[in-house]
Amino acid sequence: MTKLNTANDLEALRKQIQAQRQSIRTTLTLCGGTGCQASQCSDVIAAVKDALIKNGLEKSVTVRASGCHGFCEQGPLMVIEPGNVFYCHIKPEDAQDIVSKTVMSGVVIERLLYVDPVSGKTIQTEADIPFYQAQDRQLLSQNRLVDPCSIEDYLSVGGYAALAKTLFQMTSGRVIDEIKTSGLRGRGGGGFPTGRKWADCMEAPGDEKYVICNADEGDPGAYMDRSVLEGNPHLVLEGMMIGAFAIGAAQGYIYVRKEYPLAVEHAKIAVQQAREYGLLGENILGSQFSFDVEIARGGGAFVCGESTALMASLEGKVGEPRPKDVHTVEEGLWYKPTTLNNVETWANVPFIIKNGAAWFAAKGTKNSKGTKILALTGRIKNTGLVEVAMGTSLRTIVYGIGGGATNGKAIKAVQTGGPSGGCLPVSKFDLPVDFDALYDAGSMVGSGGMVVMDESTCMVDVAKYFLQFLQDESCGKCVPCRLGVDRMLELITGITDGRGKPEHIGLLQELADTVRETSLCGLGKTAPNPVLSTLRYFPEEYAAHINQKRCPAGVCKPLITYAIDAEKCKGCGLCLSACPLGAIKGEKKQAHVIDPQLCSKCGICADECKTQAVTVN
Amino acid sequence: MSPTTLDSILQGRRSQPQQLVEVLQDVQESFGYVPEDAMRTVSKDLGVPLMEVYRVANFYKAFSLKPRGKHVITICTGTACHVRGAHQLLDQVHGQLGIQPGATTEDGFFTVERVNCLGACALGPVVVHNGNYHHHKTPNKLRKLIDSVRSTSKEEGQL
Amino acid sequence: MKQYVTLTIDGAQVRAAKGASVLDAAIEYGICIPHLCHVPNLSDIGACRICIVEQISNGRSKVTTSCTLNVQEGMAIISNSEKIKKLRRNIAELLVAQAPNSKAIQDVAVRCGVKEVRYPFRNSDCVLCGRCVRVCTEMWKARAIGFVGRGKDRHVDFPLGKREDFCKHCGSCTMLCPMTITPCKGPMRPGEEYLCGKCEAQLMITENRPDSCVWCELGKGFQCARYSQ
Repeated sequence: MTKLNTANDLEALRKQIQAQRQSIRTTLTLCGGTGCQASQCSDVIAAVKDALIKNGLEKSVTVRASGCHGFCEQGPLMVIEPGNVFYCHIKPEDAQDIVSKTVMSGVVIERLLYVDPVSGKTIQTEADIPFYQAQDRQLLSQNRLVDPCSIEDYLSVGGYAALAKTLFQMTSGRVIDEIKTSGLRGRGGGGFPTGRKWADCMEAPGDEKYVICNADEGDPGAYMDRSVLEGNPHLVLEGMMIGAFAIGAAQGYIYVRKEYPLAVEHAKIAVQQAREYGLLGENILGSQFSFDVEIARGGGAFVCGESTALMASLEGKVGEPRPKDVHTVEEGLWYKPTTLNNVETWANVPFIIKNGAAWFAAKGTKNSKGTKILALTGRIKNTGLVEVAMGTSLRTIVYGIGGGATNGKAIKAVQTGGPSGGCLPVSKFDLPVDFDALYDAGSMVGSGGMVVMDESTCMVDVAKYFLQFLQDESCGKCVPCRLGVDRMLELITGITDGRGKPEHIGLLQELADTVRETSLCGLGKTAPNPVLSTLRYFPEEYAAHINQKRCPAGVCKPLITYAIDAEKCKGCGLCLSACPLGAIKGEKKQAHVIDPQLCSKCGICADECKTQAVTVN
Repeated sequence: MSPTTLDSILQGRRSQPQQLVEVLQDVQESFGYVPEDAMRTVSKDLGVPLMEVYRVANFYKAFSLKPRGKHVITICTGTACHVRGAHQLLDQVHGQLGIQPGATTEDGFFTVERVNCLGACALGPVVVHNGNYHHHKTPNKLRKLIDSVRSTSKEEGQL
Repeated sequence: MKQYVTLTIDGAQVRAAKGASVLDAAIEYGICIPHLCHVPNLSDIGACRICIVEQISNGRSKVTTSCTLNVQEGMAIISNSEKIKKLRRNIAELLVAQAPNSKAIQDVAVRCGVKEVRYPFRNSDCVLCGRCVRVCTEMWKARAIGFVGRGKDRHVDFPLGKREDFCKHCGSCTMLCPMTITPCKGPMRPGEEYLCGKCEAQLMITENRPDSCVWCELGKGFQCARYSQ
């Protein structure tokens, strides 16, 4: 590999790589992201490579293990070019068929095609899949084209051209103006205008400045950052380089949570490669700009996603947030000016510099520009990563992309923004994905997690779940968060246990407002949001729990009883053997009975029963 | 505990207090937990007060101050997995092994942990066994997994 | 040469040295802002959130702790709005429900206007104010104790759970601890849970002048910084 000493070297290498790839006839792109790894995609990739070797095709057919495509439930999956044929749920045994039938003879294998759950029909090409069609895949489309461990792949799709433009055709002031004009706002949850953050940091006094990439994605149900960092680490690096140039930083850090080992590995490889090519280090591409990046692992703490806690963790200390009376752009890491941005924010930067601020601002709403990656999960037919233009309505996302309810149940709400966000009912589904619109409605875009809930979800239980999560993750330093969240959880548990009183609602509301106003950091300040939004939009569920001691969704254990309908029970004994507590008794071929004293209402028996004989009251 | 392993972990990092979290991560990976002697050595060699080392080791979930079992079963309780019934997996494992998350069985064989989201949400409920990801786990499948781990180890004479 | 700035607290013009906190300035001028974790000459961490004030700038108000907010020229601070009083009262209510068996906590609660406690009383013997840890770390540099654990598990402990020989038994931690004195009527008994500190005389004086210092007995209880001046 050659060290690139000038911008011309970079372009020459790029052209060379692109020319080399002209002769490739066929490319098989398989997703190698964490989700597909869980579905054993490595076995499939190995089998495909074997099959190609057996047929002597390993030189003319490229196999690429790309980053996450976002369609995780369909994995292991593959896209074949030319032809754009899309195969899913591939097993290693299918490899031979794929090579001999599709690659060699152009014959499509029906059993491997995607079946659209809404229409019931098979779809042949990736471009025709409704899930993808409804999206605007600016960032995710690059995941499809590059192997995250190959800097050459990144160069061949135009990588680092934005860096060269920045270093040799722009000043730092120009770069910041471009980011400001684009309207890019932080993608990690805060939604703070990125251009203004960079400007404040650049103007802060001091020679030692830092840039940090926050890849501590702790929101449960959100994995956008994982797929971007894991699937296209060079894109993130390039964004950081441009940012560092703009604010005058010479050192950067990527802080990745430990629970993403593949992202850590790919980021490390990318940094190593960039250093080898001279894209990190002294006098990059022959300019005056020197910059290097280190990868740091999180220790397992959601609170370290908060910027001051993350910086404390980088300093080798416990991840306890610090008061932000002076902002981190002035006093951040080691109390020096620091620009901390989310993975997705950094990933948007090279596109903005290359295509211009106007291109970015052409998408989205007045105050929320560009596209946003969302992690769409929950009770809908199509789950996965979804990238849409800001301003797309929740309804389009849930029904148009998500395909509507699964299991025929009615959709009740969508939870956005993770534990810092709120639940919005169906009546609000015409709201756009927009920072301000969702905030005003009592939720937030947050990092992009979107969990769809149906009538089998109890909204009081959802609030309780998030409070438990936040209580678990609170650092415990300040009184409102440590004691306030605890007392809110105590009150809500009382409600779900059937001990709720009407005055508890007012107390819960007042306590939630106090915690929101007085907590030291963002974790505490947003902790009451799930409670506040469910109180606002689902008061009837709280009322049912308190006044009628009833859980309408049949979830809250103390308020429900499990019983077996003797008429439907065939005495097969499946439930008996499945019960982890031995609470079911019965003879073969005779109706079984649940002992209410032993029953913990886990619901395992109901899942096992083939005749729907288990009833929940 | 091998002094040479600790030595290699501290190599190139001595007198650098900011490396504390990374050093402890390596200690956890090498020894399966963070032993007391290791904390004293790290405190001395990195130049970090013992109180701080102890604080960091207690703060982050990655670190365990007690040895973990041979087989670590991690159940994801993130939102997407929760909505798909992850709590049933907790009930299952409690019934089958008799322990709550964070604890180890008396024979030192199984440790059960909870994690708040692994980023594989579309495939939930997710269970990780010693670094291997399992998806769409139901209580039944989990029961079978635990049983098979037990019987394989019996065959290999580990139990 | 010390540099001074002028700011307004509750409409009153206050002159303070650069580098001082808003709380320091208020205490010096006799403006009563209750506080718990603040100890003169030790760092301020903003943990108890009792000393909150509103900072007004550009027509917007931001709630922040006065102990961590450094004075700046032209700053406008409100420490006694209805909103702040209500928030302060709610925080004090949480504290006293958690640890009622301390005169200091009861006094803070009464000073902040807590009249009823709407949560079941618990009996914690530590409110994690951090005074002990900070005096050991900053004044004596011994680091013999520290905060260990997260969230509900957070507690003060020795390194590795054992008292090391670098604890010099100086007793500073115990001296500063707000939990060491029980309320006048003695510890609460189960079934007799009520908010003490209702000394009629103190309430009569302090309720008439809620915003200025009247050298009240309540302040002695929570070791108000004005007493140490």
